[in-house]
Amino acid sequence: MAEGTAIATPGLSSFLKSLKTTPVEPSVAYLISLLKRRQIRNSRQCAVATTALLLRVVGEFKGKDSAKLVERIRQVGRRLTSAQPREVVVGNIVRRVLGLVREVVEDHLDAETNATSDIGHNSQPHNDSLSRPTLSSTISTFSPLKHATAEPLDASTHQSETMSDSGELPKRPGLLTSHTSYVPSSSAPLVNSLFGLFSHPDTPSTSNTPTGHQSPDNKGMLTSLNLERLADFSNSKFDVKAEVMDGIRELQDELDQSDDLIAANALDHIHSNEIILTHTASTGVQKFLLTAARKRKFTVVHVETFPHDHTGTHSVLLTGKNRDHSGDSEEDSFKPLRAAGIQVVMIPDSHVFAIMSQVNKVILATHTVLANGGLVAASGARMIAAAAKAHQTPVVVVSGVYKLSPVYPFDIDELIEYGDPGSVVPYEDGGFVDLVDVENPLYDYVPADLVDLYITNLGGHAPSYLYRIVADHYRTEDINL
Amino acid sequence: RRRPSNPNVLVAKEPKKDTKKEPKHANLFFGHLYNQPRLHSVVGASKDVHPAVLALGLQYSSYIICGSTARMVSMLVAFKAVIEDYQTPVGTSLARHLTSHHLSPQIDYLRSCRPLSIGMGNAIRWLKDVIIKIDPSTPESEAKRELITDIDNFIRDRVIAADQLISDYAAKKIEPGDVILTYASSSIVESTLLRAHLDGISFSVIVVDSKPLFEGKRLARNLSQHGIKVRCFSYSGAAHAVKDASKVFLGAHAMMSNGRLYSRVGTASIANLANSNSIPVIVLCESVKFTERVALDSIVGNEVAPAEEILSERERQALLPLKVNGEEEAVTTTNDVWKRVEEAK
Repeated sequence: MAEGTAIATPGLSSFLKSLKTTPVEPSVAYLISLLKRRQIRNSRQCAVATTALLLRVVGEFKGKDSAKLVERIRQVGRRLTSAQPREVVVGNIVRRVLGLVREVVEDHLDAETNATSDIGHNSQPHNDSLSRPTLSSTISTFSPLKHATAEPLDASTHQSETMSDSGELPKRPGLLTSHTSYVPSSSAPLVNSLFGLFSHPDTPSTSNTPTGHQSPDNKGMLTSLNLERLADFSNSKFDVKAEVMDGIRELQDELDQSDDLIAANALDHIHSNEIILTHTASTGVQKFLLTAARKRKFTVVHVETFPHDHTGTHSVLLTGKNRDHSGDSEEDSFKPLRAAGIQVVMIPDSHVFAIMSQVNKVILATHTVLANGGLVAASGARMIAAAAKAHQTPVVVVSGVYKLSPVYPFDIDELIEYGDPGSVVPYEDGGFVDLVDVENPLYDYVPADLVDLYITNLGGHAPSYLYRIVADHYRTEDINL
Repeated sequence: RRRPSNPNVLVAKEPKKDTKKEPKHANLFFGHLYNQPRLHSVVGASKDVHPAVLALGLQYSSYIICGSTARMVSMLVAFKAVIEDYQTPVGTSLARHLTSHHLSPQIDYLRSCRPLSIGMGNAIRWLKDVIIKIDPSTPESEAKRELITDIDNFIRDRVIAADQLISDYAAKKIEPGDVILTYASSSIVESTLLRAHLDGISFSVIVVDSKPLFEGKRLARNLSQHGIKVRCFSYSGAAHAVKDASKVFLGAHAMMSNGRLYSRVGTASIANLANSNSIPVIVLCESVKFTERVALDSIVGNEVAPAEEILSERERQALLPLKVNGEEEAVTTTNDVWKRVEEAK
């Protein structure tokens, strides 16, 4: 809070700046206050802030006990998510980092108990079959650890990399192969204990349901074997922290690049002379359209999302820059679509149905994507998707994997945030405001059956496939933070 | 419903010259509908146009009178004044001269202020029919008196009595505990809701409102002043509003002969959302608004308004560069066609 007063306009950039100088605890408190005051909002900014903070948290963490590290991250994560539960992305990032820690430890244990050369063999094919070599190759060369350290570390960095970059090749199959291949050579209880290593007894419900990740009997041996293992571990020279921090940096790279990776798909989906309908001032969608605009001429119909995002929409159309998020400056500004020679038509929300019969494709930006294939997006999205359904127009959702949440929408209303009713009916209209309940929902839940395709940084997916990507990116142990 | 008020309520004339530039619109969707620029002043009006009609035209173009019933009734009332002041020139008869030479300039002027609604077209057709049937031998004063009573009767029968009947009938559809959703403002929906409220049924209303006219605000205020519990949503929150509703009441601009509803833009989405939530959609429409025209979507025939109208004054300033470049355009349409109508009267 103290920092908040010192800096003129608190926001993402001021937070990132202050993070370099302030110690961890005040930084956590600062981010919490920023989240609570909505000075950091929208998924991307939350994700960037959370990863930066967790990098610091891990960096400052004293000691080598990885169980304590997990507990520490989890504790920070709980505080952040309870500060702003509707920014689901914060929880996503925390879960990803937790998964990272677990994975680093597990890989290391695997490597320790087995021949190192075997591991190298095992992970090599993964690398070859990566479907998106562009990103992964740059990152693996990026990592200083790869060349500096012994083979087992190499394997583990690689593992975390597959986790963060390529959904097609999850780390779980890797685990299974190691499971099957090593069980005969080593003792079965040991393998079991590896799987149950970090499962927390306080969250039993999720950890033993879906994946069969844990065998039911491992709870019993968890205590003795685990402790012994961890003790071993803290004595060894193996540096969990450095590994995890590397992993987090890769996550940051993923956040940086996700828009561009998504945009790389644009030419597959946007053809010449098409009419594309979109809404809100999403930078991801703008980049997507701009990439297509380099090669093709098409028309964009932009719904202005009155009353909560119309100023943002207007400024994106005009200048290519979202005035509402002035916090993050240089890298988020780009050429407006008009400058790229695209005809842009702006319409109010009410005109969507009238124009939908002429539209070839609807591209929606999103706030959060949920594990069942539904999504939470700026309000109006439901109406647009329903209108598209009525006209059999395909609906494409553009979203980074970091927005994909393991949460299932059991209670949809819980996910919806309500904004300032003053933007619907101004407060000057006192008599009106006294008599009438004015509501201004900021988000809509769009069910999976209204969406035809998701485009993430991993490529295109059907809504029904998203659960699989969730399973690849999050550990079941972490679903309940 | 507003009646044409005395001429001193005349809207302040804004010197708007730029309306002439309108045809520049190479508009993507509604290009075929931009046939003539909108008139926002009395400048250039034919000298034959009656002062009451001049005033009325300005009220149309500035949306002081809007809603197809209100426009139709106010037009007929203005025509009463026109007929009263009419004098048949020597050598012609009233039946021959009134329609073609005196009434049509008035109609043309009104049309240039805002395109005629279907209801207005129907009323004009009826009036012409009545005039043509007047026996040429009837003395002028008597014929005029007859015409004026005819117009009064028309308003009474086709609008007032019809509204009464519809609201009586529709109010029965409202059950205790219902949550009625309505979009923008319709006079007949309003009277129906008030009717049901007076009958002692306890229900609440959700009003969904939209840019740029915010008609729903007026409706919400009126209803809440009568003690009805009202919630108000902006258009983008419509999905949430429909989720909470148990019935949807809509007004109509016209009913197409292929069974489709032609109404204020945005109606279709509301009806579509209601349909996907399995909520009954009830359309209240006087039979004077029925037309034999057909339409499949909102592109076929529609009324387009100048694009600036969807922007507030501040936004207009902000978006000014867009107009300069001419690449950016906004589309305004007033009406919407939706394909399924559950009930109409």
